[in-house]
Amino acid sequence: MDLVKVQLTNSEFLSTGIEKLDNLLEGGILKGFTTLILGSPGSSIEILSKQLAVKGKVLYVTTDETEQEVMDAITRFGWKPEHIEFTDIATKYSKSVLSREKKRVSIYEQRSKLKLKELIEIGSSGVMPAVKAQEDFLAIFSNSAKTTSPEKIILNSLDFFLSMYSQEEVLRTLHAAKVANIERAGVLFIIMTKGIHGEVFERKMEGMADCVLELNVIQKGSTFERFLAVKKMRNYAKKIGIARYAIDSDGFVLEMIERIM
Amino acid sequence: MSNTLIDGLKERVSQAITINTSVGVILPSSNYSDMMQALFEYMSSRNDHFWVYLAISKPYENIVKQFEYASQMTNIRFIDCVSRAAGITNKDPNCIYIESPSYLEKIIIEIMNIFKEVGDQLQKTLIIDSLTSLSIYNDNALVTEFFTHLINRTRLKDIHTFSLAIEEEMDDYINKIMYLRSNKIIKLRESFI
Amino acid sequence: MTNSESYVYNQNRIGLNENENAKSSCPCITGIDELDQKLGGGLPSGNTVLLVGSSGSGKTTLSMQFLTNGAKIGERGVFFTITEPLFKLTKNLEKFDFYDKKMIESGMVNLIDLRIISERLGLDAEKYTVEDASALLEILKDIADELDVKRLIIDSITALCYRLQTKEMIRDFIFKLGSSLASMNCTTILTSEVPPNEVKYSQYGIEEFIADGIIFLGDVDRKGDLIRTLQVIKMRGTNHSRTKSAMSISSKNGIELTPLLKSRV
Repeated sequence: MDLVKVQLTNSEFLSTGIEKLDNLLEGGILKGFTTLILGSPGSSIEILSKQLAVKGKVLYVTTDETEQEVMDAITRFGWKPEHIEFTDIATKYSKSVLSREKKRVSIYEQRSKLKLKELIEIGSSGVMPAVKAQEDFLAIFSNSAKTTSPEKIILNSLDFFLSMYSQEEVLRTLHAAKVANIERAGVLFIIMTKGIHGEVFERKMEGMADCVLELNVIQKGSTFERFLAVKKMRNYAKKIGIARYAIDSDGFVLEMIERIM
Repeated sequence: MSNTLIDGLKERVSQAITINTSVGVILPSSNYSDMMQALFEYMSSRNDHFWVYLAISKPYENIVKQFEYASQMTNIRFIDCVSRAAGITNKDPNCIYIESPSYLEKIIIEIMNIFKEVGDQLQKTLIIDSLTSLSIYNDNALVTEFFTHLINRTRLKDIHTFSLAIEEEMDDYINKIMYLRSNKIIKLRESFI
Repeated sequence: MTNSESYVYNQNRIGLNENENAKSSCPCITGIDELDQKLGGGLPSGNTVLLVGSSGSGKTTLSMQFLTNGAKIGERGVFFTITEPLFKLTKNLEKFDFYDKKMIESGMVNLIDLRIISERLGLDAEKYTVEDASALLEILKDIADELDVKRLIIDSITALCYRLQTKEMIRDFIFKLGSSLASMNCTTILTSEVPPNEVKYSQYGIEEFIADGIIFLGDVDRKGDLIRTLQVIKMRGTNHSRTKSAMSISSKNGIELTPLLKSRV
């Protein structure tokens, strides 16, 4: 235990904010590391992503929940984040969807003679109205770290980008984010659902990440067992291990640690 | 000597063309240029005719080089089937170029289109130069069908046809259709000279 | 039989077909003589016809000629383009003698970019929902009604079907479009893009079953030279010819047909 404490003060590492996870990782995440967290559905990966945000100077990039929703969840668990900022892509996205929906002219309105004539006229003019390009969410993500210089960036989740952009585009952006993270000597967490983006893409992601954590749910009889595995840790082969975990009112609780090596 | 020959040919062409709706000319290749000369001289002398000249044996360019006055005639149009296929890209308002001698349907369309615009006061005549060169680029059966088709359509519009065939290039097929589809066959023999 | 007899015989045959059609309505003449002859007078009025061919086979040219020939006899038409912007379309059209700018200016021929319309309606550029599709359908009907057109083209239905996501939606769309335009007695050509050298009438395999007629533009190989062909595959309500014709496209005369010579291949 003492050893861990010593290591925690070591400036080479950054605490995840979960003591037992730091233990499993023998000190935390090495600064400059990009960590991929893969979770199968039902693994409560979204809770882990918020718990990671408690410690340190954090930039939380949220794509599915709004800033408010994230903060509500954090408060529910009674966590008090030291310093948290948000890049709220979820809100931006829903706004853009809404505005598109608003622009849609009601068919009943269009059916009036006047509107129809106008419609025919613009249709015959051949001039495509300047379409306001949709916001580039990938760009928002990659720019967000530049203004705040956080210690920790948590991206929850990559699934959103993969549903809107090609895998190549997403990978390119992540590579840039990884390089920026090294320069900043911060840690970058990328959350992604396991098993829905194709095996090849998962391999590519695992290859790119310095550290890979995987959350799995296994059904045993009538109960579910949850495991957190450290699948990869660049240059620290002995850190590879697996722990059973549960979720209680305090969040993630790691129960048993098994070393694989 | 040569003039007598040309004059003789012209005489025969003249007689045949006026009387018959479709004339076939079978000639040895050695007499081809004489025939051309007789034909063009005859064409230029007849203002009461309208001619369409289907050039398959040689490009339009070559023809007008030899008979310069032909390019000045207002009552003749050329359809050139070989220039484009040979990669010659010249253009001439007096000539319609067809991409390939195998576009037989296109040839029919162009022939009929030209004649459609010609008034009835002129005698319309189509010169095919030559059926045997057409058979170089197409299967015999296809040439037969083309020729049959063409004769049917031109007759319907009172268009006369004058088709050349080179004896050495002829086979049974061409021979047969010439005889079946022509009202009159002119056969030139070297002995004739 | 003499030539003049055969001519009369031909005329009678066409006359017979016209009588058959007279029961419903006068055929919508395409103005391409040989095609009208093949169809026994023209396209049956109010029919929806699929004009099938690979890219560059002359679908757009044929459709445009159909519209301009209609304009010449006082029938208004509208051309909805999806694949090509209008300036490209008119640039290509200017090459043809049948195209007359005055027809556009006078409103006898209307060219409309459907992408602009759907953008204005707020439809997604890539995918249409069921609601989107019915909104678009309503607008197409309204425009046809407003312009009082007798001839309507969609170039291409393939591009439109690409945005409709299921076979049911495609079926529904074409069926509803066809029936409402038929009730306006508006004759419709939907162009259908298929891969070259494939005997296939539509990309999605459904369009052909809903259309009243199919005209196929293909080509045959003659010693390496490709000859354009046109064949009427089906045409409800007519006694059409099923023979293959050779097709020529020229700037002077647009599309012309002549019987295809059959080589022994």
